[in-house]
Amino acid sequence: MISPGSVSSAVAPHPDIIRIRSVVKTFAGTQALKGVNLDIRPGEIHALCGGNGSGKSTLIKILSGVYQADEGGTISVGERSVAAHEMKPSAAVELGVRTVHQDLAVFPDLTVAENFGLGGGFKTDRFGRIAWREQRNIAQRLIDEFEIPTTPNTTLNKLSLAERTQVAIARALRGSEGNPSLLILDEPTAALPVREVDQLLTSLRRLAQAGQAILYVSHRLDEVLALSDTISILRDGSLVETKPATGYTEASLVEAMLGRAIEQALPHTPHTVGTEPTVQITKLTSGPLSSINLQAYPGEIVGIAGLMGSGRSRVLRTLFGLEHVEAGEIRFKGKPISFTRPDQAMSAGIAMVPENRIQDANFPDLSIEENITVTVLGRYFRRLRMATSAARGEASALSRSFKVKASSVRAPMTSLSGGNQQKVIMARWMQRKPTLLLLDEPTQGVDAGARADIYALVRAATAAGASAIVVASDFEELAQVADRVLVLRRGRIVAELTGGQITAHRLTELSMSEGNERP
Amino acid sequence: MTNSSGLSSSRHQNKTGIPVGRVLEYAGLPIALVLLVVWFRLDSDSSTAFRSSANITNILANQSVTGIVALAMVIPLVCGYFDLSVAAIAGLANVATAAVIGTHGQSVLVGILAGIGCGLVAGLVNAFLVAGLKLNGFIATLGTFTLLGGLLQWYTGGQTITNGIPRSLSAWGMQNFLGLPRPFWLLIVVAIVAWYLLAHTPLGRKFEAIGSNESAARLVGIRVERTVAIAFMLSATLASIAGVLLTVRTGGANPTGGTSYLFPALAAVFLGATAIRPGRYNVWGTVFGVFLVAVAVNGFTFLGAEAWVNNVFNGAALVLAVMISTLVGRHNEAKLKAAVQHDAPAPKDLPEPDPIDTHQ
Repeated sequence: MISPGSVSSAVAPHPDIIRIRSVVKTFAGTQALKGVNLDIRPGEIHALCGGNGSGKSTLIKILSGVYQADEGGTISVGERSVAAHEMKPSAAVELGVRTVHQDLAVFPDLTVAENFGLGGGFKTDRFGRIAWREQRNIAQRLIDEFEIPTTPNTTLNKLSLAERTQVAIARALRGSEGNPSLLILDEPTAALPVREVDQLLTSLRRLAQAGQAILYVSHRLDEVLALSDTISILRDGSLVETKPATGYTEASLVEAMLGRAIEQALPHTPHTVGTEPTVQITKLTSGPLSSINLQAYPGEIVGIAGLMGSGRSRVLRTLFGLEHVEAGEIRFKGKPISFTRPDQAMSAGIAMVPENRIQDANFPDLSIEENITVTVLGRYFRRLRMATSAARGEASALSRSFKVKASSVRAPMTSLSGGNQQKVIMARWMQRKPTLLLLDEPTQGVDAGARADIYALVRAATAAGASAIVVASDFEELAQVADRVLVLRRGRIVAELTGGQITAHRLTELSMSEGNERP
Repeated sequence: MTNSSGLSSSRHQNKTGIPVGRVLEYAGLPIALVLLVVWFRLDSDSSTAFRSSANITNILANQSVTGIVALAMVIPLVCGYFDLSVAAIAGLANVATAAVIGTHGQSVLVGILAGIGCGLVAGLVNAFLVAGLKLNGFIATLGTFTLLGGLLQWYTGGQTITNGIPRSLSAWGMQNFLGLPRPFWLLIVVAIVAWYLLAHTPLGRKFEAIGSNESAARLVGIRVERTVAIAFMLSATLASIAGVLLTVRTGGANPTGGTSYLFPALAAVFLGATAIRPGRYNVWGTVFGVFLVAVAVNGFTFLGAEAWVNNVFNGAALVLAVMISTLVGRHNEAKLKAAVQHDAPAPKDLPEPDPIDTHQ
């Protein structure tokens, strides 16, 4: 038996305790998890906190069987135990680990009873027909047990999102009755409207009081503090500490997540900034955004920090003509604009690198050359035909200067690694010499070398007089590259930091914590 | 085969000479066509009939209609949209031309313009349904295909229109130009125009971009709805030309004449996607596809095969073509993935970014 860590020694032993021991996970030579030990007691809501890349997601994926850990670890629920490298989704369910992901995986067009059936199997009669009456009875029992305000025949789209989450939880826990089990909730409130959050949290407390062990993952620190009994903090793949929730404040939680080392703000080289803003947004309201003010000046990189749902991509999409302006004004180079299509924004001199490369930027079937020239097709239509060799020459030159590692620009886009694909997409836009560059997560899934290259390109463009607005969830990165950062929270700008004020610590604190808003 | 050993082998091939695998991949279809022709010419059962100039003229002229219908289908397919109605639009243009000239006694020119005009109206309906209302192209054009077929039956009363069509019209289609039948030349001209549009204009590049990733196409400033509508209109134009040619070839119109071209054209398009530019719908591959199917059916008929062979061969060719292009595509993708994984640097965050912040 592996000796329990110092943390669990303080906890009274319980026969149905969930023990995670020595879980290590290595990805391509880097350790994402460096031997994690964690105990979760029945009846406890145990929050798991950690910043970007702390290993939080990896740990949950191992517990639910999506990833297999390296050899050596074990995961046990009560008396049952599985080696961590043998975890599979089926093994996790058998062990009693039930996970409800953020997207819930429920079927909105089907009834509650059908949703339960699809998750846990239908009862059939001897002709193989679904025994609907029995199925409805099962559903009614679950509804009663989990106190969901609905009926078996209600379709899910008539329920609130909180109630759908309850259905997903009931479905996940179905069949584990009588045996100890662990319920993992991955960001369950992220998609919920504020008024429904309490409804869900109340139902979670009831579950815990009934003896359910819950591992709760959320980035909303106020919720974590209000809801959980115990908080464990992961940082750089290691479990830093586990303490009762009452021992934390939002500030100490952020402190623990980021580490004690006080960050040194990088010296910001002063950049020549023009006096006339390239873009000026006044009291913009659109979707989640309400009354946003933003200016970007020539030569400047403006960062936008914010969590999911804060409206950060919406700012860029609205500027690019993809979203409707409900109220407010956007001025570009002094003139009011209201674009309804990207091509209008493009002819004005705006470029946008979207957040999701695979879905919104790559042309997988086309060659690198075609991927680069797609924004300047008219340029190569000479003497009534595409000037293929000119386009190829230009594309080769660009892909060299953007350091794209490819055998030839005629190779298909899919032959490149993620970082090189992103450089191709940068090249596609940079050749248009945009005056405003909108970058949404430009380094997502990109290796460190390519990341530096990409930001060097952005800096070169701004040095030549362009403005850039960058959205990045890596606050460390934002602190390094941005001259000025606006923090968005729930559709509002809650802070603006400049120069030495910009640290990942401050950005995390400002974008996560509710309450102490500073101008 | 040379091309089974990964990307690196293609570099070696250039040193060692002819890359057999790649030649087969790109030119498999034309090679198969040549082999079939050689076989039917040499086989004593079929050779005399097959090599007769009447037969060759017949194949070339007959298949011109199929070829133009197939090319009409290629254009929306490059954008990623099916247009099954092209054969019915050809039928519409066929009947309209014949009716205006024959029944209403108008000049040939007016008849041709009327035929093409009717086809364009049908194309406009398709464009509205698929690009405007964003209905599923496959289902919507299957609907217009069936609908048009029904309307043609109603209009003609199920009768063929032959009365009043001037002999000079069908005579034009019988004549040769530079030793080859005129309809074949028309196919070549249409193919060159389609190839020019698709391969040598910004419009063609936009079609390909939309076909590859519609969402990304929108985000690089392509006006997707408008471009798709243009593709359907171009497709209707080509289909109408095929319909007019059908009037010339048959000296009249038959209510089901046009619609019968759907499956041969479909088979040709998918066969075409296996060659010249493997994995992509392309003009010259389609032309070879048309003649491969036609020569095979023709030759087998001389070898004593019965009429049902036509459908069996078309069906088999369609299934085989889809199978080959899918399997080749999958194989190439696996090859690329292996190559990428081999020399890809260690990614920045292999465990995906924490949900601290992703989409909205």
